Amino acid sequence: MVLQILKILLLVLAFLVTPAEAGLVKDQLGREVLVPDEPKRVVSLAPSITEIVFALGAGHLLQGVTQHCDFPPEAGALPKVGSYVHLDLERIVALKPDLCLGTRDGNPREVAEKLGALNIPVYAVNPRDLQTVMSTLIEIGRLLHAEAQAEVLVAKMRGRIEGVKARVATTQVRPKIFFQIGIVPIVSLGTNTCIGELITTAGGHNLAAGPTPYPRFSKEQVVALEPEVIIITSMTRGQDFEPVRDDWYRWSNLPAVRNHRIHIVESDIFDRPSPRLVEGLELLARLIHPELW
Amino acid sequence: MTAPSVPRRILTVSSGLAVFLGLSVWLGLSIGSTGQNLREVFALLIGSAGPDETLANIVWRIRLPRVLLAALAGATLSLGGLVFQALLRNPLAEPYILGISGGAAIGAIIGILLDLSRFPGVALLAFAGSMATLFLVLVIASVRLSLKQDSLILAGVMVNAFCSSLIMFLLSLTQDARLHNILFWLMGDLSLSDGTQTLILAACLAPCFFLLFFMARPMNLLLLGEEMAASMGVNVRAISLVLVVVTSFMVSATVCQSGLLGFVGLVTPHLLRLLFGPDHRVLVPACILGGGAYLVWCDLLARFLPAQGELPVGVITALIGAPLFIYLLQRSKR
Repeated sequence: MVLQILKILLLVLAFLVTPAEAGLVKDQLGREVLVPDEPKRVVSLAPSITEIVFALGAGHLLQGVTQHCDFPPEAGALPKVGSYVHLDLERIVALKPDLCLGTRDGNPREVAEKLGALNIPVYAVNPRDLQTVMSTLIEIGRLLHAEAQAEVLVAKMRGRIEGVKARVATTQVRPKIFFQIGIVPIVSLGTNTCIGELITTAGGHNLAAGPTPYPRFSKEQVVALEPEVIIITSMTRGQDFEPVRDDWYRWSNLPAVRNHRIHIVESDIFDRPSPRLVEGLELLARLIHPELW
Repeated sequence: MTAPSVPRRILTVSSGLAVFLGLSVWLGLSIGSTGQNLREVFALLIGSAGPDETLANIVWRIRLPRVLLAALAGATLSLGGLVFQALLRNPLAEPYILGISGGAAIGAIIGILLDLSRFPGVALLAFAGSMATLFLVLVIASVRLSLKQDSLILAGVMVNAFCSSLIMFLLSLTQDARLHNILFWLMGDLSLSDGTQTLILAACLAPCFFLLFFMARPMNLLLLGEEMAASMGVNVRAISLVLVVVTSFMVSATVCQSGLLGFVGLVTPHLLRLLFGPDHRVLVPACILGGGAYLVWCDLLARFLPAQGELPVGVITALIGAPLFIYLLQRSKR
């Protein structure tokens, strides 16, 4: 009993000493993070987060971003703190951030812990697909006091998603899609991945559907699956993809080849869980169901 | 001729190298990805710096653990090379080439895949891996009935190749973010060194360093050949066993934190032997101090050379060490 009173007293004291500036919030790693009430110096630890912060109109808060943060173009001009898997701690500390925004699965956990030990709060979010991008928008919007903007963005995204769904619902046709993200080896995406869901939402039948998130295929297997549309994207930047497409064109009896339905798409709007993912969804729907547009 | 007494030589060589190590550490603390601040760091070190909290944080909590880990890893691997070269009477012996690092790597990767903490989980698996490969190397080499020269190196190369294929197999199974973790680790990466873990490592290594220093005399005698050493009162079996176990323990404890750093155990012992002669009583402390300084420099190069980001330090040590290995191999054939 006495202990409890002491505890309460201590809490009250702590409240009095630290002006109501900071709040403990639980992040997507389940850690309690002490986030400042009004973050002024934010460092983004992943390209998707950079895009989300800019979309929320809070880009001016960003003091540093990662090497691959190139959208919107203003992001490219900000100081770099390494790549999201290999962050440069020293540069992050030198930027004196009052909040770092990281991702749950991309950033090494050790970095979050080390920064935490240096009294730099790291709030981890976990955007993976359309649904979680929208919830992350709300989450970061709350942290950066851009709730209104977040609501507007989410409403817009929801509207565009519903638009695609409505069009796709007008047809029963579900073309067989092979979505290629890796060239050597050939890698596609299973059911419970962001792109897997996009394919289904866009009215396609994902040939790589299944429990394996990143299944590997031999050329023979792909040919046997008889894809009607092949979509190629790659995480490797600056590579030439025409040879990859031309290589598929050698298999002249593939339905996708016969109908000239092999497309190369920009990978950023598919593999980055950012608000632009909805552009990816619309593009995919147009490529799968050109007859509906 | 009045050669200086051994204790005096130990003292002069060690103090000289200690000063060099100190300077290297100062440089290592002063240069980083946000620029160089030699003067400010010096002021910080002697305790007369202004209250620049960011710089103090960067120096004490980011650069210091890294520089310390580099020095410890350099010392351990150099000492490991020295011990194996004496034990096997082979100038090419080294933990990396003998496959011991590779074995530690397999253990460590399995540990990372199982989401164990770096210490003690990953370290114990690394130790088990290195002991297993060492055993394998000795068995393969002794089948050819001579524990000497090429047969051991050959066995080491074979086991190393086997280890690499196992590593490739484990890598091909991994698809998530841990893959990057493992890759950086395989290339030797000091950037995520942690203060507490480095201190624990130092506490584990210090007794090993002392033990090896007190075994310097038997190591000198081992170089004369096993029969000779036995006739001078050395219990060859016991000494060899202790040397092997202590060295493997040191190497695997280090490797699980620093990643694979090749050829360090080749470069420094040979260089120091050239400078200070073959007496292990001088060479053991020289390897600890000089090896530490060597890796601190390699790490500095790794941070300094590329304009964007940094190189894994293992790339630097291999680039320096591999040509030297070839040179030594050529020379020993003649």
